[in-house]
Amino acid sequence: MANSNLPRRIIKETQRLLSEPAPGISASPSEENMRYFNVMVLGPSQSPYEGGVFKLELFLPEEYPMAPPKLGRICLDILKDKWSPALQIRTVLLSIQALLSAPNPDDPLSENVAKHWKSNEVEAVETAKEWTRLYATGA
Amino acid sequence: MDSEDDMHDANDVESLEDFYSGDTAIDSDDAADGDYEFIDNDSEDEYDDFTSHRNQQNYTILSEADIRQWQENDILKISTVLSISKVEAGILLRHYNWSVSKVHDEWFADEEKVRNTVGLLERPVIEFPNAREMTCGICFEDFPSAMMSAVACGHPFCNSCWAGYLGTSINDGPGCLTLRCPDPSCAAAVGQDMINTLAREEDREKYARYFLRSYIEDNRKAKWCPAPGCDYAVDFVVGSGNYDVTCRCSHGFCWSCTEEAHRPVDCGTVCKWIMKNSAESENMNWILANSKPCPKCKRPIEKNQGCMHITCTPPCKFEFCWLCLGAWSDHGERTGGFYACNRYETAKQEGVYDESEKRREMAKNSLERYTHYYERWASNQSSRQKALQDLQLMQSVHLEKLSDIQCQPESQLKFIIEAWSQIVECRRVLKWTYAYGYYLPEHEHAKRRFFEYMQGEAEAGLERLHQCAEKELQVYLNAEGPSKEFNEFRTKLAGLTSVTRNYFENLVRALENGLADVDSHGACSRTTSSKSLGGSRSKSGRGRGTSSKSGSSSRNIDDSSHWSCEHCTFANVRSATICQMCHNRR
Repeated sequence: MANSNLPRRIIKETQRLLSEPAPGISASPSEENMRYFNVMVLGPSQSPYEGGVFKLELFLPEEYPMAPPKLGRICLDILKDKWSPALQIRTVLLSIQALLSAPNPDDPLSENVAKHWKSNEVEAVETAKEWTRLYATGA
Repeated sequence: MDSEDDMHDANDVESLEDFYSGDTAIDSDDAADGDYEFIDNDSEDEYDDFTSHRNQQNYTILSEADIRQWQENDILKISTVLSISKVEAGILLRHYNWSVSKVHDEWFADEEKVRNTVGLLERPVIEFPNAREMTCGICFEDFPSAMMSAVACGHPFCNSCWAGYLGTSINDGPGCLTLRCPDPSCAAAVGQDMINTLAREEDREKYARYFLRSYIEDNRKAKWCPAPGCDYAVDFVVGSGNYDVTCRCSHGFCWSCTEEAHRPVDCGTVCKWIMKNSAESENMNWILANSKPCPKCKRPIEKNQGCMHITCTPPCKFEFCWLCLGAWSDHGERTGGFYACNRYETAKQEGVYDESEKRREMAKNSLERYTHYYERWASNQSSRQKALQDLQLMQSVHLEKLSDIQCQPESQLKFIIEAWSQIVECRRVLKWTYAYGYYLPEHEHAKRRFFEYMQGEAEAGLERLHQCAEKELQVYLNAEGPSKEFNEFRTKLAGLTSVTRNYFENLVRALENGLADVDSHGACSRTTSSKSLGGSRSKSGRGRGTSSKSGSSSRNIDDSSHWSCEHCTFANVRSATICQMCHNRR
């Protein structure tokens, strides 16, 4: 079973994430695999994503914490070359929340959205609000 | 660079030999002098001069032990002058690309700034906790403080997490040399002392290799020899002129672009030429294998089907036979029918039909022009490879044999090795003159003409030397016992070697000069040329400036004792009616 040899660090991190969750963030391990987390990040207030709930999947590889957690295609330096084993799941998720407050159009996943953002930010923010309402409110 | 001047002075003596003279003077002083002792000494000096020119002048070959020694010395120097530990000195030097002077400059300009940039803390950021037991910030386990470590900042992590942290970084590559404390907010550098106490054995070794390699790879004045399997590095005195270096593994390369040595052609041209070769080679091979040029308009034609009767596309419309490339009007039943060509078959059987020769004759359009230069470039390359093998064979087998037969100590036979080394070097130069020729603008008629003349002379001179070293030597190698003529042979071969060396050295200089002599109408008269070239060398160095046309020696051409050839610009003595250089009439 994958959970039998779970390092103490992962157990402790998990306990703390559950007992003292960071504001606007929830992360809970899957029952079958304690290295697999279902994550929800609330859209930060005063951002276009306010009111939205963003679901993420986070996986802790075998080398964790020497290697960073795997988190889909998110351009965040601490998930790549700036990773340090002294960082934690909590710090990673807080960074992602911060990224929602201050999106970086110079390092986008979607080229088109970034172009839109850079050419007409007001309009792009409206689109983001609209999409948040349509796709991230759980309605 | 004191020694560079010495070298020029030494060469200037030789350069008095006339380089432009058509009959490459075997009857020059040192060769005509029948005193072998004298020649031996002379050529030995030349050899020393030659090697110092190659090896000790402006670069140093470093073995792994040398690299370790140099690195150690530099670290010690910085550690002493800056009063910091050797580990810190190593971190500092690596950051500033192993430049001792740069470290000095930066450190003494702003020590604090340097310390912050590089991560050399003077005092801990936090006190190393005094508790008996602590929690590691990575694995969250509790440990007695004796099992925790920190770098200068004081952030403690357990030794096992340190080992994992260091190992992960080391296995990621040479970036481990700039490793910082695991605490994300801390910039304290992690040095080799931590590696040596905390990393696993195999990681320690890897780190040590990266550290050593860094002394070459992060160093602006050192490079690895690019020859496959060679472990030597070359430390180069930047700004000392000519970039050609010869590694101890005998690979000759250009230190600047690390392509093989290519004087007199510059790095840019070499890069262009090599790119062109790789881009063209596929096309070129295909075209050579599958097409023939139209005998009239020279455009390449691919025959994909049908009979031998080819009609070139308009506007040319020339009708010809694919096999013999003759006009179709000459063909028909009398040449064996429309599906065969007797002329071709007969000629082929007799071995008269040299297709490639015919192709060379047709070298007219750009592709053919390129092929012309490429073929010669490539054939000199393979000649050189062959000569290199011959040289090695000579050194390993023949010299000893010859020494036995001719009853001469091997030390007296060095002139043969010198001859072969010279042949190898000349083949290399000759090869690159074809890249030079390819890029020499078509419209510079005088330069092209002069260049082709010099190239032709160089080629002929080299052939003479090659012939002598190869064929004539064979006689003495196959002889039963000592030959009386052997000493004459020695004189001849040593003379040819010396003359050819001078000719090629001057050729290289002239080409590096951009053939400036052609502009300065006739700076190449028999008496003035060698002096002006020799003089320019000692003052301006190689490949720089065009000073051979300055100075009084070339100006006195204007006097009435000379006439300048309108074909090649050579300054002839008034009495001559035919140009001494290109043999055209006045």
